[in-house]
Amino acid sequence: MAKAPPIRKPKKKANPLDKEGITYVDYKDTALLRKFISDRGKIRARRVTGVSAQQQRQIARAIKNAREMALLPYTATTR
Amino acid sequence: MRHYEVMVIVDPDLEEQKVTPTLDTYLNVIRTSGGTIEKLDIWGRRRLAFEINKKSEGTYAVIDLHATPEAVAELNRQMRLNESIMRTKVLRPEMH
Repeated sequence: MAKAPPIRKPKKKANPLDKEGITYVDYKDTALLRKFISDRGKIRARRVTGVSAQQQRQIARAIKNAREMALLPYTATTR
Repeated sequence: MRHYEVMVIVDPDLEEQKVTPTLDTYLNVIRTSGGTIEKLDIWGRRRLAFEINKKSEGTYAVIDLHATPEAVAELNRQMRLNESIMRTKVLRPEMH
């Protein structure tokens, strides 16, 4: 008998913000924000980052503020 | 009075010793209107993530202050007129 299609069990990721005890996502903290952008400079999806919806919005806003002040790139053209 | 955080990128061609006095003259707008400057933090020269006005570096400064909205708006307007100030950002940390 053919094997049943494997059921993907979504792995529960540890929330990286709760782990570090961060309540206010500061746009000046580029070391933290860099964990939430891809190597091309794009904001990582919540599916990938594993944070709550509220935190994802705070992160996105912080990244956009940081971009305006040239702390983070809009795009990274490494290719 | 509200708490504001102002970030400024100053032209890297301006010597670093001149950055504090330059910003201080603008901060008089806050003082004369009854506001207070909590902190003036000069980060120093830093590489920009992308070029601004054909410059790849900038001197960053972060100012923490308590002032009225009108005083901060005037501060921001005056700073934007100065050509050696490349970019400014006014933020209320409590709102975020």
